[in-house]
Amino acid sequence: MQSSAARKMTAEGWLEPPPLPHHYDTLENHQGALRFGMWLFLGTEVLLFAGIFVGYFTFRHYFPEAFEQSARHLSVPLGTANTLLLLTSSLTVALAHYNAEHGKNRNAFWLLLASVTMGAGFLGIKAVEYTEKFHEGALPGKFFSFNEITAPGGPVFYVVYFFSTGLHALHVIVGMSLLTWVAIRCWRKEFSPTYYAPVENAGLYWHLVDLVWIFLYPLLYLV
Amino acid sequence: MATTTSHAAATHAKHETGPGRLVLNWLVLCGLTFATFGFSQVHMSPSMHLAAALSISTVKVVLVVLIFMHLWHGEGINRIVFVTSFVFLLLLMFFVMADAATRFPLSNSRIPSMPVVDQKMMPTGMPPGMSSVRQGHSDGPGASSGEAGKK
Repeated sequence: MQSSAARKMTAEGWLEPPPLPHHYDTLENHQGALRFGMWLFLGTEVLLFAGIFVGYFTFRHYFPEAFEQSARHLSVPLGTANTLLLLTSSLTVALAHYNAEHGKNRNAFWLLLASVTMGAGFLGIKAVEYTEKFHEGALPGKFFSFNEITAPGGPVFYVVYFFSTGLHALHVIVGMSLLTWVAIRCWRKEFSPTYYAPVENAGLYWHLVDLVWIFLYPLLYLV
Repeated sequence: MATTTSHAAATHAKHETGPGRLVLNWLVLCGLTFATFGFSQVHMSPSMHLAAALSISTVKVVLVVLIFMHLWHGEGINRIVFVTSFVFLLLLMFFVMADAATRFPLSNSRIPSMPVVDQKMMPTGMPPGMSSVRQGHSDGPGASSGEAGKK
């Protein structure tokens, strides 16, 4: 990664793009390759979460009653609030991408900051939910001691619940770190119409985090 | 420099998804979130609930991917990557579910009669109803030798 200090500020008010690696013909060519690499990575992410979703459907097939009872013990208002938070943060990330692409680095910075804050809000709400589950004893496997779920398979639901939301929360943390990193680079005015791939790729990752939650929300909280 | 800028501008005009469209997409997504919630409150069979939730979620995912993630205007190669990963996800899900739904036909109906035993057995990873089904079917020497062979 080229340090931004070596790059000159252009008359338009953004840093000139980093030097083009010699094996690319054009900057656009380079940006396309970066984007393609990110999409390939997102493909593997989809397959990572595929395992969790297959687990959900399999166990739901074996323990339909426990899954229904357990879903009723999750807080729908908190789950819905988290869904709206993530959707809104996806909007601000998409707007940040738009602004970075047009060289409006300061706008992009504030939008990314808003996204990171909403990510933190999401984790805060998740922490409240987890605390409640720990107090109730609504926990996976042998740690399960929640009397209100009478149907067999309660511990299995909470295995699925904690693993899916836990892995997702981990992705939220990684996504927040990436967004913070590109936000700092926005503050340094590094992005321009010819160079904005880091904002775009960090944004793509954040949208994937949103996609996973779009499926988790109804499956865990509502169905 | 001037030619590079105009070239970039021309490319942008082609790929552009403006802020207005992004905000509109966000409003639709929020609306669909409330629709998912609304459907969950309607009295329907569990499988209908599942079908409704999955349908709405799929629409939401398509909107996020096409508009927020720019696949609508994006390069075809990226579309192939993402669609392929989803096809593999569906393949995995289909075959696992087909297996789970057909392998032990009586397992589901047997679970309610043995809740206490079952919960204690869960940490060992025994699939539900498996032991009882096996006992029910192991009525010949072939079956029991097959089981011994697996262990």
